[in-house]
Amino acid sequence: MTLLDFARGPAMQWSLAILVFGVLWRLLGVVLIMGKKDLSKPRRNRMIVDGLATVATRSLPVHQFEKRIRFQHLSGYVWHIALFIAVLFSAPHIIFFESLLGIGWPHLPNSIILFFATIAMAVLIALLVRRTGHPVQRSISNADDYVSVVVVIIALVTGILATSHFGARYETLLAIHLLSVEALFIWFPFGKLMHTVFIFPARFQAGAAFGRKGVRA
Amino acid sequence: MSVDSNAFRDFRAVLDGLGSIAPGEILSDEERVVRAKKLFLEKLDGPMAVDLETCIHCGMCAEACHFFEATRDERYAPIQKLLPLRRFYRRELSPMRWLFRTFSRDITATDLETWRELVFDSCTVCGRCDMMCPMGINLSTMINVMREGLASAGLVPAELQQLQNEQRDNDSVFGVDTTRLLEVVDELGRLGIEVPLDKDQADVLVLTTAVDLLLFKDAFGATAKIMNQLGVDWTMQSRGFEAMNFGLLSGDDAAQKRVSAKIVEQAQSCSASIVLLPESGHAYQALRWEGANELGEALSFEVLTMAEFIARELQADRLKLRVPSNGGSVTYHDPCRLGRHGGVMEQPRQVLRSLGLELREADSHGRENYCCGGGCGEYVIKNSAPLRRKAFGIKRREFDEAAADTVVTSCASCRINLMIGADEAGWQKPIESLTEKVAANLAS
Repeated sequence: MTLLDFARGPAMQWSLAILVFGVLWRLLGVVLIMGKKDLSKPRRNRMIVDGLATVATRSLPVHQFEKRIRFQHLSGYVWHIALFIAVLFSAPHIIFFESLLGIGWPHLPNSIILFFATIAMAVLIALLVRRTGHPVQRSISNADDYVSVVVVIIALVTGILATSHFGARYETLLAIHLLSVEALFIWFPFGKLMHTVFIFPARFQAGAAFGRKGVRA
Repeated sequence: MSVDSNAFRDFRAVLDGLGSIAPGEILSDEERVVRAKKLFLEKLDGPMAVDLETCIHCGMCAEACHFFEATRDERYAPIQKLLPLRRFYRRELSPMRWLFRTFSRDITATDLETWRELVFDSCTVCGRCDMMCPMGINLSTMINVMREGLASAGLVPAELQQLQNEQRDNDSVFGVDTTRLLEVVDELGRLGIEVPLDKDQADVLVLTTAVDLLLFKDAFGATAKIMNQLGVDWTMQSRGFEAMNFGLLSGDDAAQKRVSAKIVEQAQSCSASIVLLPESGHAYQALRWEGANELGEALSFEVLTMAEFIARELQADRLKLRVPSNGGSVTYHDPCRLGRHGGVMEQPRQVLRSLGLELREADSHGRENYCCGGGCGEYVIKNSAPLRRKAFGIKRREFDEAAADTVVTSCASCRINLMIGADEAGWQKPIESLTEKVAANLAS
């Protein structure tokens, strides 16, 4: 079995299994911790609308906050958008998604994918450097904060190398990229990358809770 | 509408005298940790679990905190204030607890003692960070759980503990009891303002606070004038008039519940359909939003704070005001527990507009408003005075930029804290009560 066969075969299967099982385990574990019924009389009763509104709008901080978090806010936008483009519109990725989901979509040229992947990587490295130097971020950081970022950076770097066929045979570069993504899959349920799942209920419940008091969250 | 300078000085002397007795429970380190963890286990629920799982440690919450902004000290980042609770959650409740138990240590008595300063002296639980968090995490609710955990571990600051004990043991706050109420009612009576005490039946039960009876008697009198002008069937119970709830401020659940239960009992005894709270943010939170949950059943009456009551009466055209031709301009300071935590933001502004006043908003107002700097009982904690002074600088800057003639608020604690800040900074802007503004302009 070649390295690529291993990456495409058992490593992919096991890492996906750990990803799916781990995400479900962590979600279920939280769902089973019950909430308490709020017995106070709500000022208004439109929890679903208020919850969804906060899910949709919390990425747009109001002026009074925006002026104090501009760097993080903009870098967050750039990094997430660049990552989504690189992940969702790369031709090999779409083939992979099609094999999993049964549906595909048009891809972008490699040069554009490389551009966005490089942007995503650069912003992520900048955020990592900032974390080590910013007094607040440094003081609240734990191993997860660094491991999660490094795992994603490695996946981006290996992806860029594989796409640009730089440094080794394509098969080797592809195998290394696949293994790095599989490492990300395995880490995903254990660390803060899970915010991609939890952000939706967290924002929703904030919107609903403040909304019943008549406050837009 | 001015505050008697002697009364203000006397009140500050009362505050300075607090905490000389430290009546907290003497517990072993082990017992403190056991009690705090028991409380954390009771209080941590599904929504908090979601919040703790979601945090990405971005630190943006720090930028919402007035204490961080005033000092740039990373210890004041709101997420820092939750670290023991997060550690407990991860080790005891998280779906990944089997992993966290291997790689993280348990919380210790030293942690609890260290965090006492962070959650009591350096946090007013104002909730501004709740509005900033990009994940939508409700940090203030969890900081409150931290306070409750420390309270159950016997680590409440002496000043708050002393006031809570006084409310429990003597049925008074700041030494204000029924005798003081009767004195003030008598004084008001001599001014022609009647306060109907101890009626068997009334539509509205009105509460007041020790702070009003000591320092802001005009606000208390203004409430009575408005009620009498409206011709409302109202009363005040001489043995249960206090709206302040030091259980909420100290984090002692049982004490909070006791105060709320007493108010409910008073309301039921006179069959009131409305309990009208004085200008007090925390009293509103304690009864309006937490009362039913503390007592385990829905309240049988409506809870209103003065600002929303007045706005409602104006809207119904029952309350008539004189509108001065040139009333001047005001900046409204939103008390955190009425505004962000309570949903009473538009009502006071409607009232001010009805008075013909020009409303000049501070840059941060409404749900983004900066705390007065002394909320959630912090204004009584002596250790936090230097920090409060620094945070007042933010309020002062915003008020100065708004450039209104007067600052108006509808919370006595905010008013005191702003007045103390102004006094210490030699800042001259009047800080007035919304209720007093209305009472001074009632149509004859």
